[in-house]
Amino acid sequence: MKKKLTRREWLAGTGAAAGYMLMRPALGFAAALAPSPIPVYGLTAKAKPGRVTVGKCKDYGSDLVPTLDKMFDQLGGLEKLVKGKTVAMKVNFIGVRWQRLGNATMEDTFWSHPIMIGAMVHLLGKAGARKIRVVEGPWSTAETLEEVMLSQGWKPEDILSAAPDVEFENTNFLGRGKKYSRFMVPGGGVVFPGYDRNHSYEDCDVFISCAKLKEHAATGITLSMKNIYGTTPITIYGQGAGIDEPALRPQGGRGDVFHFGRRAPSKSAPQQIDPNFSKEQGVRLPRIIAEINSSRPADLAVIDGIRTATGAETNYGSRPQAAVNPGVIIAGTNTVATDAVAMSVMGFDPMADRGKPPFTDSDNMLRFGEELGVGLRDLNRNEVTGVPIAEARFDFTAIREKILRETKKT
Amino acid sequence: MQDERFNPMTIGTQSIPMRWTAGPLDIAKRQKEKDFTPEAAEVLRKWLDPSLLALAQGTPVNCLAVSWASGLPADAEQQQALKPLLEKGRQAGLDFVGLIEGSADKTAAIAAARSAGLSAVAMDAVPPGDAGIPVIAWAKSGPALWGAGSPVLGVADGLWPGVPLEKTPTGGPTNLPWVDSNGALLGMAEALAPDKTLWVFVDPPKQAKLTPENYLLTVADAEAYGGRWVISLDAQMRADLAAKSAPALASWKRVTGTLAFFEQNKAAWSYERMGRLAVISNFSEPDREFNEDVLNMLPRIREPFRVISRTRALAASFDGLQGILYMDQAPPEPALRQKLIAFVNAGGTLFASSKWPNPEGAPIQVSSAEAYLLFNLRNLGKGRLAVAREDKPDSYFTCVDVQSILSHRGDPARLYNGASMNYFFQAAPQGRQAVIHVLNYSRRPGGDNPIIYLKSPWRTARFVGLETTAPVPLQFARQTAPYEVGGAELSLPLISVYGAVQMEA
Repeated sequence: MKKKLTRREWLAGTGAAAGYMLMRPALGFAAALAPSPIPVYGLTAKAKPGRVTVGKCKDYGSDLVPTLDKMFDQLGGLEKLVKGKTVAMKVNFIGVRWQRLGNATMEDTFWSHPIMIGAMVHLLGKAGARKIRVVEGPWSTAETLEEVMLSQGWKPEDILSAAPDVEFENTNFLGRGKKYSRFMVPGGGVVFPGYDRNHSYEDCDVFISCAKLKEHAATGITLSMKNIYGTTPITIYGQGAGIDEPALRPQGGRGDVFHFGRRAPSKSAPQQIDPNFSKEQGVRLPRIIAEINSSRPADLAVIDGIRTATGAETNYGSRPQAAVNPGVIIAGTNTVATDAVAMSVMGFDPMADRGKPPFTDSDNMLRFGEELGVGLRDLNRNEVTGVPIAEARFDFTAIREKILRETKKT
Repeated sequence: MQDERFNPMTIGTQSIPMRWTAGPLDIAKRQKEKDFTPEAAEVLRKWLDPSLLALAQGTPVNCLAVSWASGLPADAEQQQALKPLLEKGRQAGLDFVGLIEGSADKTAAIAAARSAGLSAVAMDAVPPGDAGIPVIAWAKSGPALWGAGSPVLGVADGLWPGVPLEKTPTGGPTNLPWVDSNGALLGMAEALAPDKTLWVFVDPPKQAKLTPENYLLTVADAEAYGGRWVISLDAQMRADLAAKSAPALASWKRVTGTLAFFEQNKAAWSYERMGRLAVISNFSEPDREFNEDVLNMLPRIREPFRVISRTRALAASFDGLQGILYMDQAPPEPALRQKLIAFVNAGGTLFASSKWPNPEGAPIQVSSAEAYLLFNLRNLGKGRLAVAREDKPDSYFTCVDVQSILSHRGDPARLYNGASMNYFFQAAPQGRQAVIHVLNYSRRPGGDNPIIYLKSPWRTARFVGLETTAPVPLQFARQTAPYEVGGAELSLPLISVYGAVQMEA
């Protein structure tokens, strides 16, 4: 049974006691970041073991579709999951589309690759999906996803024709829907009790998080769980969101509402449970991400690590980042287990808590996902198949350290 | 056509002006300022010293703008005090322009200027009768200025270019910041007063800690767009130069070096702006603010465009255009309307204001996902007529929707890795040469090389910039991946302030 805690109860439970926020400056950074020793949510018992598979694929060439096909077979088969169903597949087009990492294209670093999207659509179609809707909320725009793809020189028609009934929807706003759909957090949540989203996430029978294998500046990692954070509409949760009702069109990012709690979402949506909840993004985001995941769990998670970037989720300019070619794909039946395996492939410990890489500045979102019953992060409690993790490992920390060493030399 | 009240002048395209702030009048004008100190007054006195003219010697600066009359008691003293400077300057081949402003007795000031041998005066009013001396119209931008008869127009409300953080409340690592630029102003001037040279008057912001790059950017922001910044130094720089401080002299050398760079590369001044979109307006009330905003917004969404004066639109070529933005509230005169509709019938898209009477064509039912669009779309011939739904639409969203309706499929060019940069494209009238100007308003090079995408690559490309001593040949990297639509990319060297890609067909 889920134990619902208010923010104050949670603070009391951490031992920080009342006055946490007032004491914070005196406690110092490390103390303020101390992980909570007790469950924040308490639905761990609901979490079921997941099945995760690891595949190796050196590029987006002809090996991709057979590799994915084999991986889905290892998960029990796509057909069983999607035949005759409407599928929504959330891809990742994070950040300003005009900012690359050096000469590397967005698809080779931060974004879902068009060939990966096309391959997924093709396999979903082959498995009998009735309708496939590719969804994403690209940065601060109401443009169609076709337009966003065209702005990168892609051919969206190739994706649209990869299966019989394929469409795109920008879920930053109301889009084709008549109203927003509401998804409640099991047990009532800690930060928000629920989240409003574009109709596409309710209209689907099967929801897939098709993410990229990346680190994240604020949350340590951004994999299939964090990808789902991008399902929240900017018209409600963005900087330009309407005060009472959702804005007509998206403007800005989610920083003010989700990262820092500087403003509330549109009043039409569920509001923050405790208005005084922490304003620190390292506290807020992992919880919010886990809550969003639990409010509409993905039925399949696929993480593209064929080509990606180390260091952060987008180009920050000042961070040690590199375009890399790990040549790996991770897929699984829930986002927590899949991310746990992906973290291990990246050289990180999915059981790590705040203070240990990659969670140097943040709580571990996987932990909260587990506490919300989304999945288990302990690799030993999940079924991991395919290429052994050790063989697929691509050490993100080592890349960063290498860049730093080379920067020092120059 | 030149106004008869304005005499022909030696001041013109070739003039490179500098605001020479010095003397009793400049002291008097600043005396009421809180932070004006006796030391600052002393610096302004020092700048009367003809020996400081050595700063201009051997540099492109050839015209000095001095305070001449402001309706203050110090006017006469100023004119007297400037005499040695004027004499020495003239011997050195420098032109002097006297600035007449405020409640100055214009007739007397002009007479004094004539008598003192100034090359011209600049003033914010039409000169009385025959001034007997060239007069530069100097006023805030607007129809009165664009219509003035002088071959040089001095725009008094120029912007200090840069990235004003306070204007980017949603700025951050994943957002394009706002930039202040005189590009819109100069684009308007080019369309409305095509045979004139525009001088941009803007002083450095007070309280700001300026770097040499601030000056370089202000020079580049005017020169790239075919105008001139009337160089204006901040008080500290003036003091340091008067004291012959080595760092200040080095900074000054960089400023004049930038002027020299643009002199060497000014062939592009005769080129025409390129873009698939044209903005047609006279930029007069009540449409001025909206249209000027549009000219500021389009570069931020990376949409290359041309500006066409409504008055000249009937004679203008629409070749190469995919879209025309005509958002003036007043409908076009019948002949222009006919021309615009012909453009649509031939396949173009016309974006018109909500006041467009009796829209032609058949309404297009947009998908519910596009219900947010600020335009109602209509099919007409091979093209589309997009009529604004609102009388006063948001200028930013208007630009975004225009781009979206035109579609990125037809992007002629794109810029990657230049969040704080603006770029624009020009081609020679015969189309054999072209140049892409890239201005960086952050004044820092960033960590990633800017990348220019071109739908139609040119035969050769080379890069020139303030940080390269010689042109750098560039290679087009063709887009050949199966998922790409084609075109090619150019990776440019890092740009702190300004760089350009010069291309040949």
